[in-house]
Amino acid sequence: MATVAVTSSPLDRALSVTEWHARSYKRTWRATITTAFLNPVFFLLSVGVLLGQLIDDDQAALGGLSYVEFVAPGLLAATAMQMGANDAMWPVMAGIKWLRTYHAVLATPVRVAELVLGTMGWAAIRVFSAAVIFTAVAAIGGAITSPLAVLAPFAALLCGLAFNAPIAAFSASLEGGDDGWFPALNRFVLIPMFLFAGTFFPVSQLPDWLEPVAWATPLWHGVELCRMLTTGNVDALLALVHVGYLSLFVVVGAIVAIRRHRRALLK
Amino acid sequence: MGSSSPLIEARGLTKRFGDFTAVDAIDFAVERGETFGFLGPNGAGKTSTMRMISAVSPVTSGTLRVLGLDPMVDGPTIKARMGVVPQQDTLDFELTVYENLLVYGRYFGIPKDVIKSRAEELLDFVQLQERRDSRVEPLSGGMKRRLTIARGLINEPELLLLDEPTTGLDPQARHVLWDRLYRLKQQGVTQVLTTHYMDEAEQLCDRLVVMDQAKIVAEGSPRELIERYTQREVVELRFPEGVELNGKLDGLGERVEVLANRVLIGTDNGDATAHAVHERGIQAESVLVRRSTLEDVFLTLTGRTLVD
Repeated sequence: MATVAVTSSPLDRALSVTEWHARSYKRTWRATITTAFLNPVFFLLSVGVLLGQLIDDDQAALGGLSYVEFVAPGLLAATAMQMGANDAMWPVMAGIKWLRTYHAVLATPVRVAELVLGTMGWAAIRVFSAAVIFTAVAAIGGAITSPLAVLAPFAALLCGLAFNAPIAAFSASLEGGDDGWFPALNRFVLIPMFLFAGTFFPVSQLPDWLEPVAWATPLWHGVELCRMLTTGNVDALLALVHVGYLSLFVVVGAIVAIRRHRRALLK
Repeated sequence: MGSSSPLIEARGLTKRFGDFTAVDAIDFAVERGETFGFLGPNGAGKTSTMRMISAVSPVTSGTLRVLGLDPMVDGPTIKARMGVVPQQDTLDFELTVYENLLVYGRYFGIPKDVIKSRAEELLDFVQLQERRDSRVEPLSGGMKRRLTIARGLINEPELLLLDEPTTGLDPQARHVLWDRLYRLKQQGVTQVLTTHYMDEAEQLCDRLVVMDQAKIVAEGSPRELIERYTQREVVELRFPEGVELNGKLDGLGERVEVLANRVLIGTDNGDATAHAVHERGIQAESVLVRRSTLEDVFLTLTGRTLVD
């Protein structure tokens, strides 16, 4: 009898998982289009343009930027955070517990690491495409002042994955399938970050004791990185710190996510 | 690989979850081409055994060889040659019937044009060609299960694992499914299935093991098991609630099992025993003479029924 070897490479197998998510998404994209594309643009319009006109008297506080120029990169990073985070919550729980589709994947030669990274690959594609569209809209609307902004979607992608990977690890470790944690995570972690970690105002506005807390959040690093790129005010050393900090979340998050998925799926 | 070596071989196979022993040192071997069954009630350890065979559940102790390989080491290679039909269908409801096959084939690294032609053949085989482009969610339970079987065949496996293949299906859907599984057997696909339905085990299995409380309690073909552990026929008597029998049945048949509101008498001559019941003036609500089944085997071995 001929021995059938596994002919595909790990990358092929991870991409087959990404392909599954992409096909599956074709049926549900309408439901997510608002969070991915419309909400950030509405925010940009209402807060950035309309509210911003009332604020623009004091451009010095914003480092010489108009308010819309200040807030656009903040919204870019925050949108990436939201998408990266949400893709790692209910969909992961569904794959492991509710629909058990991840179990179907693991009945094939696909390994857990390939499943996790392929799924993360799909989140990356979603975050990146939303970031490209948002950046283009912001540029057309005059909220962007530097050609370096072409790199901003990559910064947003890094920011999105810095949330996606650790939250995927968290979701996979919810043994009881308790999705009550997800609204709590949104309310008590993600929304406060969205509101206070530099999206809408410089964190120097925060009370002194709270400012370091903002620095510790991955969102602040994502916002600052995006802001450097859309405004052209790049501090290379600080940019490296932001990239390094976010990458740490991605790498450690992914390693822990693979372990947690293995524990949840290979019992 | 020699053709005589078993496709699956387990020695002292054990699975523990913390203090709980799900599978307790079982031995079995599955030969190429046969349909092999694990029969037992829920919680007997059948699914845990299947998960170890399908290389998604680490073996706690003992040895297990699947297709001559160690599932703990060569999981992906084994999986490339095996099809799995899990107890829950695990289909992607957002996708169409056809897309479910396409996506699944990609996990094996099968080229798209090969998957496409196989998918069409498999949709014919499981009689779902008409639903090819409909979403999975509105399909009936039987259709979903048939799609799951088609999905498990996309890599042309040598070995097909089916965990409770017809649980939850209506009688007609079960018969359609049995027919398809029989066709697969004729095509030479080795099948391993679990079930808690004795009629399913009798219909499908060449050989089976009876599992109870994590252990194998008997092994053989359905006919052998019935001959070894029961009499040829059973006289089944139903009584109204609270009837006192007080030994009235003593000496009838070879073996008497008293259940909640029925009595089973194992006998080599059902009609004669039924006649004797009548002679003694025993007033039963109903008297039924039937052939012994695996259900009776299970009852003899464990003192309990398979399905409560």
